[in-house]
Amino acid sequence: MSLNVAQRRLLQEYRALTNNPPEGITAGPISEDDLLHWECLIQGPEGTPFEGGVFPAELKFPNDYPHMPPTMKFLGDIFHPNVYPSGLVCISILHPPGDDPNHYETASERWSPIQSVEKILLSVMSMLAEPNDESPANVEAAKMWREKRSEYEARVKASVRASLGL
Amino acid sequence: MAEEEINIPSLVIVLLVTGLAVRYFFFSGNASSANRQPGGTGGATPEELQRRREREREAAVETIQQMFPQVDRRTILWDLQRHGGNLQATTERILAGRTETPPITFQPPPPPSSPETTAAAQQSAAAAAASKYAEKKVHPDLITRYNLRDKLASAPSEDTGAAAGAPKTGGWSSNREERQSLLRKRRDQMIIEARRKMEAKIAAEKAAAAAASGSAGGGDN
Repeated sequence: MSLNVAQRRLLQEYRALTNNPPEGITAGPISEDDLLHWECLIQGPEGTPFEGGVFPAELKFPNDYPHMPPTMKFLGDIFHPNVYPSGLVCISILHPPGDDPNHYETASERWSPIQSVEKILLSVMSMLAEPNDESPANVEAAKMWREKRSEYEARVKASVRASLGL
Repeated sequence: MAEEEINIPSLVIVLLVTGLAVRYFFFSGNASSANRQPGGTGGATPEELQRRREREREAAVETIQQMFPQVDRRTILWDLQRHGGNLQATTERILAGRTETPPITFQPPPPPSSPETTAAAQQSAAAAAASKYAEKKVHPDLITRYNLRDKLASAPSEDTGAAAGAPKTGGWSSNREERQSLLRKRRDQMIIEARRKMEAKIAAEKAAAAAASGSAGGGDN
């Protein structure tokens, strides 16, 4: 089987993530038959309402990866200002390279081939800890996070427990 | 004079041909308008054009969905709409993985109910959609999702001992199957650990609450 650029690069990243996994992250292709489709687990950062939780998500890479970013979608319920109700994650590192047409983000925040799966997952982890209020993907969550923080935290904690079957 | 003589028969012929033609068009026009709904003017009404366009679009969506069942309808419709409904181009973009996620404001029309579909079929479609929605809303917990109930039931001490023996079940294996199973093991480990920690935390909270109420009771005595 000859691998194209995207597959070679993903295999290399998979290897790095296996040999040297970042704290609280497990990631790899669902099956090596399709290196463009990954599943990962992210631990909820400590000191946040997501603490103690483990969140599965899927990563789908385009054929022209690493020129274009993958999409990331949480597979469980995540009530977070920057995650669409469908689970789709909205953060700058997952946005196509170049300047933001709306001038919210600088080119350096957005995707570029020097980024990696690891950086995405770490960014998502820190996004869980610190939502970005500027571009809410889940308006309800953003509003609750801004106005009724304790209610938001209680809701997240309850969903974390439910996700662990407790 | 000679010109006039030539002209009269040709005039008759022209008239005859015209008459036949008019008759033919009249007749066929009648027949076709009888096929259409009454009041149809012969040409396609805007309504019909609209319906034809919808049918073409649905056919395109269906074709693409047959090729790529993993791509959802909304994405396909968005791409078709953005790029002038070119089936070929959309297919190529999906193959290249270059389809865009439609913006949240994009509300595609629902799958049309063709006149042949009965109310029952529509109902079942609605039910399917509803169940799909419910499925999406209620995600199974991780233990169910990854089928970990058995592993969770196995003795925790043995489990942690195994984890201590192999601190991180990491390391790159040159064997593809082994890699796969190691990844799965790490994933299961992570979930089971989280579950145990959360169980302990809840137990601790309960104990703390009980102790607090106990000491409060003690104070009263």
